Amino acid sequence: MNDSSWSIFVVLCVFLCFILVGLRQKSRESLEYGFGGRYTGRIGGGAAIASNWMSAASLMGLAGIIYLRGYQGLAYVIGWTGGYVLLLVLLATQIRRFGKFTAPEFVGERYGSPVARLVAAVISIAISVIYCVAQFKGIGMIFSFMFDIDYEQGVMFGALAVVSYIVLSGMLGVPRNQQLQYLVISVSFIIPLMWLARKLGYFWLLPQFGYGRAITDLSRQFSIDFALPFANGTLFEWCALCFTLMVGTAGLPHVLSRFYTVPNLRDARWSVVWGLFFIALIYWSAPAFAVFGRLLEARHGALLPEAAARGMADIIVLKTAVLAGVPGWLIGVLAAGALSAAFFTVAGLLMTGAASISHDIYYSIVNPTASESARMQVAKGGTLVLAVVVMLLALDPPGLIAEITAVAFALAGNTIFPLFLLGIWWGRANRYGAIAGMLTGILCTFAHPLFGGALPRVAALFPVTSSALCGAPLVVCVMIAVSLLTPAPPAEMGRFLEEEVHGHLD
Amino acid sequence: MSQPGKRYRVNLFRPKKGHMRDEVLIILAILFGWGVCTFGFQVLVYLSRGTGAGSILTRLTLFNLPLHFWFTGQLLPLWFIVLCVAFNLYIDRITEYHSRRRDRSYE
Repeated sequence: MNDSSWSIFVVLCVFLCFILVGLRQKSRESLEYGFGGRYTGRIGGGAAIASNWMSAASLMGLAGIIYLRGYQGLAYVIGWTGGYVLLLVLLATQIRRFGKFTAPEFVGERYGSPVARLVAAVISIAISVIYCVAQFKGIGMIFSFMFDIDYEQGVMFGALAVVSYIVLSGMLGVPRNQQLQYLVISVSFIIPLMWLARKLGYFWLLPQFGYGRAITDLSRQFSIDFALPFANGTLFEWCALCFTLMVGTAGLPHVLSRFYTVPNLRDARWSVVWGLFFIALIYWSAPAFAVFGRLLEARHGALLPEAAARGMADIIVLKTAVLAGVPGWLIGVLAAGALSAAFFTVAGLLMTGAASISHDIYYSIVNPTASESARMQVAKGGTLVLAVVVMLLALDPPGLIAEITAVAFALAGNTIFPLFLLGIWWGRANRYGAIAGMLTGILCTFAHPLFGGALPRVAALFPVTSSALCGAPLVVCVMIAVSLLTPAPPAEMGRFLEEEVHGHLD
Repeated sequence: MSQPGKRYRVNLFRPKKGHMRDEVLIILAILFGWGVCTFGFQVLVYLSRGTGAGSILTRLTLFNLPLHFWFTGQLLPLWFIVLCVAFNLYIDRITEYHSRRRDRSYE
């Protein structure tokens, strides 16, 4: 078997494994065995948070952007881990006490407005679509790498594979075993990295530290200063990107809803810590792939010009492995990990997006008398429609995986985060403030493409991947101003916030 | 709970006495630690470029990594975990304290 057939074989085996384990878990659960059941403790909850979080952006995009931009790319590492601190301290427990699990539900209940709920639902769906475009780019690149086909064909086959996977697992009713997913994703990322470090002669037991020598070698042997700070961007750009990713993490709809699968509040809090640790394990490793990639290119005398490097940055993890002569089966393992992360993220996002179309838009607004089966049909149709939209957008991707994902984070940080923050922590915030805030947030997110040409200052203050550093505070100010100028929210909501959300121990 | 006269309105910067005030204090403390280390350090690296302090930050190595790269790429994620642990320990403590004060069983 040659290298690419090995990788296809390994990828198929891994997916078959997921389905078989899922079916086994299902039959056990129906026998009330308890093992593998819903609640798996704080560590299991943490693994579930981490596996839900891991996507093509973490496993492919992160290494790609660091490979391309060095120290500037670390803003992604920090943004995507630091956001959990914000989430834990400001929102997690309070939202759980509030008792609404999705952004549109929370907005509808807290601000008591169907219009605000509709806008929040549209924003959530838009976030899911943008996020999925980045995943589809990752899937398309891996498919084109494995089958040696064009990127466009890769995206189409990938889309077909994702939809078949969703339909198949839906028909079989396979529950997701997120602990197993995390294990597969992390092992398939770290084992090839260890192999790589060993082959290159660096400290391989902990390649997360071993790659330091490679940075020194790059600078001594090839005069490439990989670690030079602010060489590829300004301090403002670094901070704006980092802040955007942080508030985006705290406002991302599919991250927020993770807090409800753990039965009590104390365990929910502690599982965030474990989740953050599991995420950090991958994020400590990703820069190593980037550094080894640069080093191997330099050693082979094949340093790419900027445009070519940008074209292949997203698949640098696999390219590095090939360049280092990693055996085919191990490349398959690496591809399987990244592919499964992208698959599960897409499956989750498409289904929640479709559920939002069916529940928040169709059932709540268009047809409140719709039967259960009609809503189900809308949800199924919605999944397909979203998949087609995402596929079409992914055929001509507007940027790197990490950059596309960052736009989704910017939208979440500019709209959902301020809505949750003020909704939880300021009793005076009302529906008018919420709607004005969301509209301002949308404008801020897309200010660069909309007004960037005419107003260069706006383009500088609201970079498309990092608009929330100026955007989120602006949205908060707009929400406060509009809320103060309009009537206060109903007294019952104030009482609920005071007694249930903040007064449970009074 | 409900008092006659003006009701309390939830506000992060004017928390109620009791559990909420303790909670807000730790939240603000953690946010301070989060902000200073994340953004403060970058400002420091930026401002000290080309100076003696700057060359210490970028030339000195720890675990074979330049100090600033190690701090940002490896220590900060660990620092976030430490902040979360500190927050949880403190919240566990104040929750137990206020539950006992209320004579109510712990969650």
